[in-house]
Amino acid sequence: MAAHKKTGARHHRIIVWSLLSLVGLTLLLPLIPYAVAYVNPETGGVPNPGADLWRAVREADVGTTQVQGVDTGVLINANGERWRHFRMNQLIPIGAMLMGSVLALIVLFYLVRGPLRIQGGPSGKKIQRFSVFERITHWFTVSLFWLLALTGLILLYGRFVLIPVLGPEGFGLTASACKEAHNLFGPMFLVAILMMFVTFVKDNIYARGDLNWLLKGGGMLGGGHVSAGRFNAGEKIWFWIAVLGGLVLSASGLVLDFAVFGQGRAVMEISHVLHGIAALVVITVSFGHVYLGTAGVEGTIGSMTNGYVDEAWAKTHHDRWYAEVKAAAGKTEEAGSVGGGATASSVVSPVRDG
Amino acid sequence: MKLVKKQDTDASSVRAALLGGTVDRRTFLKRSGITAGGIAAAGTLSMSMMKKAAATERTATDEGNPAQIRTICTHCSVGCGIYAEVENGVWTGQEPAFDHPFNRGAHCAKGASVREHGHGERRLKYPTKLVNGKWTKVSWEQAINEIGDQMLSIREQSGPDSVYWLGSAKHNNEQAYLFSKFAALAGTNNMDHQARICHSTTVAGVANTWGYGAMTNSYNDIHNSQAILIIGGNPAEAHPVSLQHLFRATERNKAPLIVIDPRFTRTAAHANQYMRIRPGTDVPVVWGMLWHIFENGWEDKEFIRQRVYGMDEIRAEVAKWTPDEVERVSGVPEETIKRAAQTMAEHRPGTLIWCMGGTQHTVGNNNTRAYCIFQLALGNMGVSGGGTNIFRGHDNVQGATDFGVLSHTLPGYYGLSEGAWKHWAKVWDVDYEWLSSQFDQGSYEESKGKPARPMNTKGIPVSRWIDGVLEDKANIAQKDNVRAMVFWGHAPNSQTRGTQMKEAMEKLDLMVIIDPYPTASAVMQDRTDGVYLLPAATQFETYGSVTASNRSLQWRDQVIDPLFESLPDHTIMFKFAKKLGFADELCKNIQVTNDEPLIEDITREFNKGMWTIGYTGQSPERLKEHQQNWHTFDYTTLEAKGGPANGDAYGLPWPCWGTAEMRHPGSPNLYDTSKPVAKGGLNFRARFGVERDGVNLLAEGSWSKGAEIKDGYPEFTADILKKLGWWDDLSDAEKALADGKNWKTDLSGGIQRVAIKHGCAPFGNAKARAVVWTFPDQVPIHREPLYTSRRDLVEKYPTYADRKNFYRLPTRYESIQEKDYTGDYPLIMTSGRLVEYEGGGDETRSNPWLAELQQHMFAEINIVDANNNNIKDGQQMWLEGPEGGRIKIMAKVTQEGVAPGVVWMPFHFAGHFEGKDLRDKYPKGSDPYVLGEAANTAMTYGYDSVTQMQETKCSLCRITPA
Amino acid sequence: MARMKFLCDAQRCIECNACVTACKNENEVPWGVNRRRVVTINDGSPGERSMSVACMHCSDAPCAAVCPVDCFYTTDDGVVLHDKDICIGCGYCFYACPFGAPQFPKSEAFGSRGKMDKCTFCGGGPEADNSPEEYAKYGSNRLAEGKLPLCAEMCATRSLIAGDGDTVSEIFRERVTWRGASGLTWGWGVAYGKKGIRRGHDVEGKATGGD
Repeated sequence: MAAHKKTGARHHRIIVWSLLSLVGLTLLLPLIPYAVAYVNPETGGVPNPGADLWRAVREADVGTTQVQGVDTGVLINANGERWRHFRMNQLIPIGAMLMGSVLALIVLFYLVRGPLRIQGGPSGKKIQRFSVFERITHWFTVSLFWLLALTGLILLYGRFVLIPVLGPEGFGLTASACKEAHNLFGPMFLVAILMMFVTFVKDNIYARGDLNWLLKGGGMLGGGHVSAGRFNAGEKIWFWIAVLGGLVLSASGLVLDFAVFGQGRAVMEISHVLHGIAALVVITVSFGHVYLGTAGVEGTIGSMTNGYVDEAWAKTHHDRWYAEVKAAAGKTEEAGSVGGGATASSVVSPVRDG
Repeated sequence: MKLVKKQDTDASSVRAALLGGTVDRRTFLKRSGITAGGIAAAGTLSMSMMKKAAATERTATDEGNPAQIRTICTHCSVGCGIYAEVENGVWTGQEPAFDHPFNRGAHCAKGASVREHGHGERRLKYPTKLVNGKWTKVSWEQAINEIGDQMLSIREQSGPDSVYWLGSAKHNNEQAYLFSKFAALAGTNNMDHQARICHSTTVAGVANTWGYGAMTNSYNDIHNSQAILIIGGNPAEAHPVSLQHLFRATERNKAPLIVIDPRFTRTAAHANQYMRIRPGTDVPVVWGMLWHIFENGWEDKEFIRQRVYGMDEIRAEVAKWTPDEVERVSGVPEETIKRAAQTMAEHRPGTLIWCMGGTQHTVGNNNTRAYCIFQLALGNMGVSGGGTNIFRGHDNVQGATDFGVLSHTLPGYYGLSEGAWKHWAKVWDVDYEWLSSQFDQGSYEESKGKPARPMNTKGIPVSRWIDGVLEDKANIAQKDNVRAMVFWGHAPNSQTRGTQMKEAMEKLDLMVIIDPYPTASAVMQDRTDGVYLLPAATQFETYGSVTASNRSLQWRDQVIDPLFESLPDHTIMFKFAKKLGFADELCKNIQVTNDEPLIEDITREFNKGMWTIGYTGQSPERLKEHQQNWHTFDYTTLEAKGGPANGDAYGLPWPCWGTAEMRHPGSPNLYDTSKPVAKGGLNFRARFGVERDGVNLLAEGSWSKGAEIKDGYPEFTADILKKLGWWDDLSDAEKALADGKNWKTDLSGGIQRVAIKHGCAPFGNAKARAVVWTFPDQVPIHREPLYTSRRDLVEKYPTYADRKNFYRLPTRYESIQEKDYTGDYPLIMTSGRLVEYEGGGDETRSNPWLAELQQHMFAEINIVDANNNNIKDGQQMWLEGPEGGRIKIMAKVTQEGVAPGVVWMPFHFAGHFEGKDLRDKYPKGSDPYVLGEAANTAMTYGYDSVTQMQETKCSLCRITPA
Repeated sequence: MARMKFLCDAQRCIECNACVTACKNENEVPWGVNRRRVVTINDGSPGERSMSVACMHCSDAPCAAVCPVDCFYTTDDGVVLHDKDICIGCGYCFYACPFGAPQFPKSEAFGSRGKMDKCTFCGGGPEADNSPEEYAKYGSNRLAEGKLPLCAEMCATRSLIAGDGDTVSEIFRERVTWRGASGLTWGWGVAYGKKGIRRGHDVEGKATGGD
């Protein structure tokens, strides 16, 4: 048994070494005439300085130059090709496929399943879900997000989509405006993301039941009701994707937007890669969020427009939150009965009001 | 490139725009199309490479073709040709001159940017004087009157020698000649220019070895070299276009390239062998190579027998330089020296190239002679592919040297003897007695035991003008100190002892700066008055001839009118002569229009007197003929193949014997016996007598091809012609002028003509001398620098004794060397050039295209010294020399660029002084784009024992973080 | 069809920067923008070599590939040019370019760079040949006059060669024959690790001219 094992190992080693030698020879053989040609009568057998030179060049050794500026000493920007490959062969097609397929899935889902209804229909009684401040925070972020997403997507895909429509000059102007808008408003997105985080982080921390919610696919798998707090696990994941993605976008965006600190191309390229990936992930996931907040779930839209949802909606989707609100309302009865004319003063809310 | 002014912009508004300096050039330039030029086709790039040969149709035929003007780059001595395109008076384009025999269209950074002279934004714009510390505009008339009055009063009180005329290697030949004559008529030998501080030791050393002190072959002739040895030179930065010729030899002849330098330069990067020496050990290294050559019998014995005097004395000295001693002194490993010697011996003919690294030493004349002797030993002289190819610096430093803008000689190296003065008085058509009366009539030194008059004694050299001001009057061999300085095209930062120079400038009564740029002279002193800035035109704003390093004279055409209120130098000279009262004598036979002497008349005048070195055959007509037929000259031999100048060497490289009518073709390679003298052949000059201590100094068994005297012979005189029976070959007119004269003083040229007719060189046929018995060191020996880092060698290789009177001044040697500075100043300090800048750099640092490429003064230091002194790359540091000058500069840390213990600096920067930025002190709008500390602020005392060349290549320093 | 190419012979380049200033001269390029530069590897050490580099007018130009507004175009001569009226100054071409060729007049906050500027092979831009507008935006159009880029025409040592790829190859092949040794060239193939550097006689013009 042991002997057998040894033989196997030896075979393995032989194969590896053979392959390595072959690869090595393939690489080295073409160099021989070059090396031979260089043996100059004067320099004798001095090794070819050219080989070192080109190695240095290919490995992007930084040379010296009298021209001032970023990366001027670099002869060959080896990352350039990789970055080009990433942008043109990965980011653009994969991003398009990702966004396209998610959109298609959503449409398909809607057509097949239709919107999620409130169990038992709306009760007619309203309950406040988001305060004014929360809604302002949300819509502030939303505006910036879509402004940046759209301008960004135009810069990414406009060449393929819009040039045929607008012509090169027309698109040039559009793209220029997009670039300016993206660069000017970009830094504000960091503010929005931080506001979002501060405002909603409290209710987006993992809680008992979130795993179960996830396992049951938010109630879509296996049927039956799944319990959830103010935000369900799906919403929490979205929150963290948005916040973390937003931070990555902001950080990389700032690096790209303020190229005044002498950051080299490598840093810019990496920032661009992160920016692109983060943007596409957040944009793609946001499709789901938008769907669920609007057409996907009956009665949700009100939470972000006037701030109120139907009590039945709350019971259906966020039963624990509903229970908490009710319990809190019980404690502060003097505020008057819940329901009826939903005025702000009569609202009982577990959250701090703006 | 085709740029033209807008149609609606007339010439006067262009002028206004330029004067105002605020209008963007593009606002009055626009482009127009033109049919394709065939220029590229004539060069190395063939027509087939060009795409749309038929090109576009003209878009603006009414605007016409731009005028293509042939001119020569004003930056270095290579003498690159340029096509300047000018439209309506604006310099709109610069095209490569593919047909030019020197550069074939190629340029370095400086040459490729000369069109910036058409912008000239940072130029001096009008005459200015310093009044209470403020620059105040004055008119030319007022400036000349005020300056002239002060000069006359100084002359009255202190004699003519108290006004110092500092000329320039940037003047063309005509201006240089006129300047020399001007100073003579002003009655002083206190006149000098940059040749003193660049190649004076070359001129002295080389001329005293074989006759003429110049590059013996040419840049183009390097094509024929089988080996190239460069010592103390970095042509890749200082003469980049010369590398095109070097590469031809290294590639086509497989000629090995050996570079000897303390610094691993851009040139060394292309060498087959690189030898790093300790600065100041040139003689040991050359003798070290010769040691192997003699040891192995590699020397050319027949050549030495026929054409060299004194080689045995050299052998005796060389024998002391055993390989181990050479290594001990110079630091070069024994094997390296041997390999270089063997390479040079095995590849003949080899050429030897040197520059400032060899010349700027207290032993500069020993270095240059050692180089010559090395070439003589190998028999590399007088052959194509061999020779000493000494690369001169400025575009016309060769010409200015030849025209005697020097304190020790009249034009043509005639010296200062009475005979020399009488010769030139005759050429100038002025009365010798009157001329003599212009000088100080006192006597302050002796010559051969007799009192000598200032007219016949060497003036103060430019390297020492500060001592002429600061030294105690009692110690100077003239009536009084120097009280007024005229800096006529001179950068003070190219000279050592910056701190003392500042002091001297402040002590002067009067400072006059005549230059296209204000130069550091305008700002480095703290004067509040007595300084005048007069704007001179550049060489693109006038015309005339210029002598390249290879002795070829090239004609420049005027590209544009003088910018702003600037005037050509010769016009300014005439104005001053008028004020000082000798305008009639200055231009007696020269036509003057609106105060501007006619250039061609000046050329013709010097043609009449420059017999010694053959500046007599280059008439303006011949030079213009060459200029218009660049394409007919061969790229390697420089000989015209057909065309109107058929058979001439390009630019009639001097000596171009006899009169222009004789049509001598010029001498492309000096001392080349394979050609008849009439075709440019020569032999070594008989300059040092016919015998010494009973030993024959004339050549033995060697003569130029076709010579009727088939052996050595002395220089020709009327008497010798008579003895030879050749006198009647002279015409009667010639006889009248030639009788009693020699080949140098016969104004008819007849003696030269007849000697050449018989195949003989007018200057005789002698041996080169390896022993110069008139010099302090007859045989070149090693002497440690004044500020040496090797105290252990001082005893064995001491410097000279101090001298009381040397060029009118006391000069110190051993009194400096005896003190040990190495404790406080442990590092060797040396300097060199950058390709983007030239000389003091005022012109090039004012050119944005160049200035952008070198924005910081720096010093190259080894990583070991950087770490030992806690200095990082790119950090500011203080560098201090042993005489106390300190400069704040950036550290450039290098692994192997310089050896540990050596600090290298470029010397082109100025405008900072000991840590202070002087930008505010420049006249408004005339500050160069880039300012920096001048390396020479920290550089120290030290002067060559023959020529007073300054020591810039070997001193001491210390560095500390700033 | 001619394919214009640059080739820098590293055996000859001496870092004299003539090409850099010739470019400034011909195109009046402002301070801070350098369409061409010379880079020295192993500065001050044995093995030191310099190379002049600018836009190499790639056949499959990465700048053109990544440009979000597609402002690049390749002329019939294989010269890669761009349209400054369309360029938005995003800097992507600079990230993608192997040679660092794209230049920007400024580098300010909020990604403000101005329109990209680069070597045009002295071939101007989309405006009418040799029109004032073309000169103002792109500099000279020597190609239209039947001339080659001034940087190469003025190279001190003829290290930098420009012209039709085949002719450039021919010149270089002749030179290498004289030299009898390898050539160190700097060309498009080098940057992409394609053929053209392994053997001295296999020059860049050939390596890139065909595709």
